[in-house]
Amino acid sequence: MLHAKLVLEELKACGVTHVVSLADNASAALAALLVNDNLVRFVSVTREGEAFALASGLWIGGKNAAVVVQNTGFLESGDALRGTAQRMRIPLVCLITYRGYSKMRRQTVSAAPKPWDFDRFSRPDLDSAALVTEPTLKAWSVPFDFLESDADLPKISEAFSRAQKESWPVALLVTEDMS
Amino acid sequence: MLTKEQFLKPLAQLRGQAVVVTSMGVTRPWGKDSSSELDFASADSAMGHTADLALGIALAQPQRKVICLNGDGSMLMTLGTLATVIGARATNLVLFVVQNETYEITGNQPIPGAGQIDFPGLARGAGFRRVYYFEDADVFEKQLPEVLSGEGPVFVAVRVEPGTEGPIARSESEQSRYLRVSIAESAHGLRTVLMS
Repeated sequence: MLHAKLVLEELKACGVTHVVSLADNASAALAALLVNDNLVRFVSVTREGEAFALASGLWIGGKNAAVVVQNTGFLESGDALRGTAQRMRIPLVCLITYRGYSKMRRQTVSAAPKPWDFDRFSRPDLDSAALVTEPTLKAWSVPFDFLESDADLPKISEAFSRAQKESWPVALLVTEDMS
Repeated sequence: MLTKEQFLKPLAQLRGQAVVVTSMGVTRPWGKDSSSELDFASADSAMGHTADLALGIALAQPQRKVICLNGDGSMLMTLGTLATVIGARATNLVLFVVQNETYEITGNQPIPGAGQIDFPGLARGAGFRRVYYFEDADVFEKQLPEVLSGEGPVFVAVRVEPGTEGPIARSESEQSRYLRVSIAESAHGLRTVLMS
């Protein structure tokens, strides 16, 4: 179990002032808390690429934002991430909810597919978003770790420390729906 | 229709302590008129993401005006940002769209729907209450103080003649101060200024 309330407490402990996000099922519980939170401002975007540019602007303006998006939206965000947070060397933590992760685990399929195994992308028992998430993070030089349950919550502050140390975006893959 | 000079000069005179974020065809010309440490060139960045970057700065600095000089082609790439600006209640953001109807940087190819897009209408439809449209230099100069004052968000479409700016580079040989450093250096420098 991964409790949204505890995730939010960790984000606050890391000095997060804004969460920039596009709603998805796995992070819905966190969004519901943020909408009414007095300390962390929730900024809702229309497409995930916006989130990286907006969060970068927040950092330039002196704030400390976190981005929360689904892996599908992260994939859409490629050039926004590259051209803003990465190009500008901005310490930014991004929580990426991992759609398709459990299906992929059930099928015991590695997240690093064999090259040119095209059939995997159309199998109904697999979500192609999951297949390309980790390879894409690696290709885009985004360090990442997994947030699978409350036991992993310390990884949030570790991600912020790493982002700060490297002046670079760091991702946490959220494998369970928050409750 | 305004020349770039007719658009930028009055703005440079009236911007005060506002952050100015530029993009595409006005990047170099703005840098000739201004050398403020509050300028930020969204050049060598993510195409189409100037308005959302400026929105972030505006939300972080609610007491300070943030002026975004976006291109019309760039605006079309992230039209959703108009809704995001409204949802975020960015009352200190003034979003200019330089409407030259072309992708100037790549040789003035027409933008999709060139000549048919109602940019002020798009902004109104997204929820902007203060929307301006200018195609006359004298009217623009006269009304600019009003545009820049009061509560926003403000949307301003300005018909500007297409120019001949080529791709924007960052190098020590650039005339504009803010293009002589990397975008990372520029971002970190502006943060330092805004936090001091």
